[in-house]
Amino acid sequence: MKFKDYYETLGVPRNATQDDVKRAYRKLARKYHPDVSKDPDAEARFKELGEAYAVLKDPEKRAAYDQMGSQWKTGQDFQPPPGWDAGFEFSGGDFGAGLGGDHSDFFEALFGRQAGAGPRAHRQAQGQDHHAKVLIDLTDAYRGAQRSISLHMPVLDAQGHVTMQERKLDVSIPQGIRAGQHLRLAGQGAPGLGQGTAGDLYLEIAFKPDSQFRVDGRDVYLNLPLAPWEAALGASIAAPTPEGPVQLTIPPGSAAGRQLRLKGRGIPGSPPGDLYVVLAIVLPPADSDAAREAYRAMAKAFDFNPRTKMKGDPS
Amino acid sequence: MNPIAMTFIQGPVVEEEVHLTLVELCQACSAAEEHVLAWVFEGALEPVGESPQDWRFTGDSLRRARLALRLTRDLEINPPGVALALDLLDEIADLRVRLQRTGGS
Repeated sequence: MKFKDYYETLGVPRNATQDDVKRAYRKLARKYHPDVSKDPDAEARFKELGEAYAVLKDPEKRAAYDQMGSQWKTGQDFQPPPGWDAGFEFSGGDFGAGLGGDHSDFFEALFGRQAGAGPRAHRQAQGQDHHAKVLIDLTDAYRGAQRSISLHMPVLDAQGHVTMQERKLDVSIPQGIRAGQHLRLAGQGAPGLGQGTAGDLYLEIAFKPDSQFRVDGRDVYLNLPLAPWEAALGASIAAPTPEGPVQLTIPPGSAAGRQLRLKGRGIPGSPPGDLYVVLAIVLPPADSDAAREAYRAMAKAFDFNPRTKMKGDPS
Repeated sequence: MNPIAMTFIQGPVVEEEVHLTLVELCQACSAAEEHVLAWVFEGALEPVGESPQDWRFTGDSLRRARLALRLTRDLEINPPGVALALDLLDEIADLRVRLQRTGGS
């Protein structure tokens, strides 16, 4: 197990006041909150901040943690000394609230596992609703699909420890679903207590990252590279779409960035989205004598200055 | 296993086919009713209907309410702050989409 320096995590000195600790946490939490930050490490950072704050904001836990001494550095191998917490009385209660037993081994070795705010002991209650996120292919939204997905769910065992349980679920993905939308699966949440009904499961839909297509609501975008002569002279090109390849007519004189709209070829719905083909022009490399000669011939053939519209152009 | 016998669970698309009551919304995002009432009071959520018993929330309210709950819990933001943060986050998301449209990627 590695030691964690909670002061370092929050960027405060060991003699920081409780107000300093709170201020540092708030500032970093706003910066790394996964709903706010686009930083790919935001979620991991935010968890670490939450754990550090859970200890340092609580005078009892902070005093116990401080007692381990300041000689420890983050990442050092660490075992809590026997009886390290002797003489401290923990009032218990809300530690780890909102963080749901998702602490590091280091935290759990010191402060024990926390079951989090579980359902209270009603004799009869509806089960909790659950939420999960699933990644689907863009083509699933075009055609609708039947998918087997596996979900990982934290469950409490008899000793109150949190373990991950895997569950398989066969789900119908309706045609026309968009990223960010939710499916409600009745009765697939947590089981009810006593005679209570089970909760629902909400599945948030997201598309798997696609190297070819970009999705904006129901509209889908495709970048289509063209050779300069195809853009200049026009061409008929086979272009991929989520529904399979289509033959596209490129009008002569197409500039880079021009968008060709294929109406109704986006994600189905009423109305369906559109598919936009964004043209890009790729220059062939001048990496042979013949290629360089062809460029020189072009230079001769055109009396062309692409900078005529620039202000202050000396040429 | 016989694939024909396999049943696939179907469910409505929340954003298009579902309207939630106050009780359902609280249940769906595990939020206390007082929180949801405060967010409605601040305009962060806009149900239709006269009284809380008649309120119907659009499916998109679920996403907003869950976000509001996380901001409240993790950053200890009060309801007016949550309403402001939701509006600003929506605006940022909108600008990102526009940036993507014009800039391409």
